[in-house]
Amino acid sequence: MNPDTPAIEIKDLVYRYGRAEAVHGFNLTVPRGKCYGLFGRNGAGKTTTMKCLLNLLRPKSGSVRVFGLDPRKDEVAVKSRLAYVPDFVAFYPWMSVRDTLNYFAAFRKHWNLKLEGELLERFRLDPKKNVNALSKGQKTQLALTTAVCPEPELLILDEPTSGLDPIVRREFIETVIGAYQEGDPGNRTVFVSTHLITEFEGLIDEFTIMDAGREVVRMNADEAREKYQKIRARFAGEVPKLDLPGALSSRVRGRELEVIVNGGGPAILEQLRARSPEELRTESLSLEEIFTVTLR
Amino acid sequence: MLIQLNFKSGKPVYLQVVDQIKSAAASGALQPGEALPSIRPLAEELRVNRNTIAKAYSELEHQGIIENRQGKGCFLADNHSPLKKDIRRKMLIEEIDQAVVQAHHLQFNRAEFLALVDERFDALEAKQTQHKGGTA
Repeated sequence: MNPDTPAIEIKDLVYRYGRAEAVHGFNLTVPRGKCYGLFGRNGAGKTTTMKCLLNLLRPKSGSVRVFGLDPRKDEVAVKSRLAYVPDFVAFYPWMSVRDTLNYFAAFRKHWNLKLEGELLERFRLDPKKNVNALSKGQKTQLALTTAVCPEPELLILDEPTSGLDPIVRREFIETVIGAYQEGDPGNRTVFVSTHLITEFEGLIDEFTIMDAGREVVRMNADEAREKYQKIRARFAGEVPKLDLPGALSSRVRGRELEVIVNGGGPAILEQLRARSPEELRTESLSLEEIFTVTLR
Repeated sequence: MLIQLNFKSGKPVYLQVVDQIKSAAASGALQPGEALPSIRPLAEELRVNRNTIAKAYSELEHQGIIENRQGKGCFLADNHSPLKKDIRRKMLIEEIDQAVVQAHHLQFNRAEFLALVDERFDALEAKQTQHKGGTA
């Protein structure tokens, strides 16, 4: 198959629950080998979008492709190449950790037993333990283990770390970076939806911010941090009245002016310098701040 | 060698890794022939995409700062930049020009700027001496 075929390609996706529209004309392309973030508030349509990829929901219109395949027509082929960790993990309550791993492995052509052993040890998961006796964090760790061991080309994570303690969250992300990406980095694609953006900041190559079922912003993470800036200027006297073209927002607090820009930072800096401020500082916005600014 | 990332600096993450390894090498915190951490543990520790570290290392290799020994990992190179002197000169001029422009805007005159450059060279040499003392 053409190696340029994106891991995920979504075009004009529409989905409705009854009359309520959850996703409205959504587009998204995830190139192979990238880590792609889908950011949005609760109810933005992230989970619905992911479920369409997994053929858990059927799009009302538009198209969804995974490695160029239609999940509705080629469900088995699609599912053999990806793994999914949902936000609410559920296992068969009568099974032990060992049974659960065997059960998941039975559906897979390939299962990395060495990796399984490493992850069980890392997560301190007792194979004999019944899954019902696991904590929420351990259940997520078991789900991640079942997702990583088949070494799929695509890992889909839906709000994977919400509700977990900081140590489990840290281990989760380290596992995605280390154990998952290590095998064949060019062929390991991560598609993660989250609102805990700070934790995934370093992992994300590109992202889409989604709101009310639509794309609001789509960007490369490094470029985004370069373009979105917070400029602070303090003046000796009153803050001068300035026309700030292209500023996303600006506010005055006493003698201080704070301007948030999306590109166009240099021009605004130049303008501020001309007014000889006492202090002039610039910092980039983190992805979480970009998210907040965009949806404000 | 400790690397610290700042997502608010506006500098691409891989370049932050490149620059910090370069300054560790300049100050002697990293010695010629010394091994760099391998990609996976460094990526895990910094919690960044593995590709980001791989990109930083390939950039450092390209600049002749580190060498990738097949199957053994990356090491700080013994010999210095493979680039010709006139190219290195051009690269340095670009950086100096930026600093000069910045000095103008921050209202530092020529003498003050040059004095500051001298001071920074002293600071770097002090670090180098300290590292030599430490490893001797």
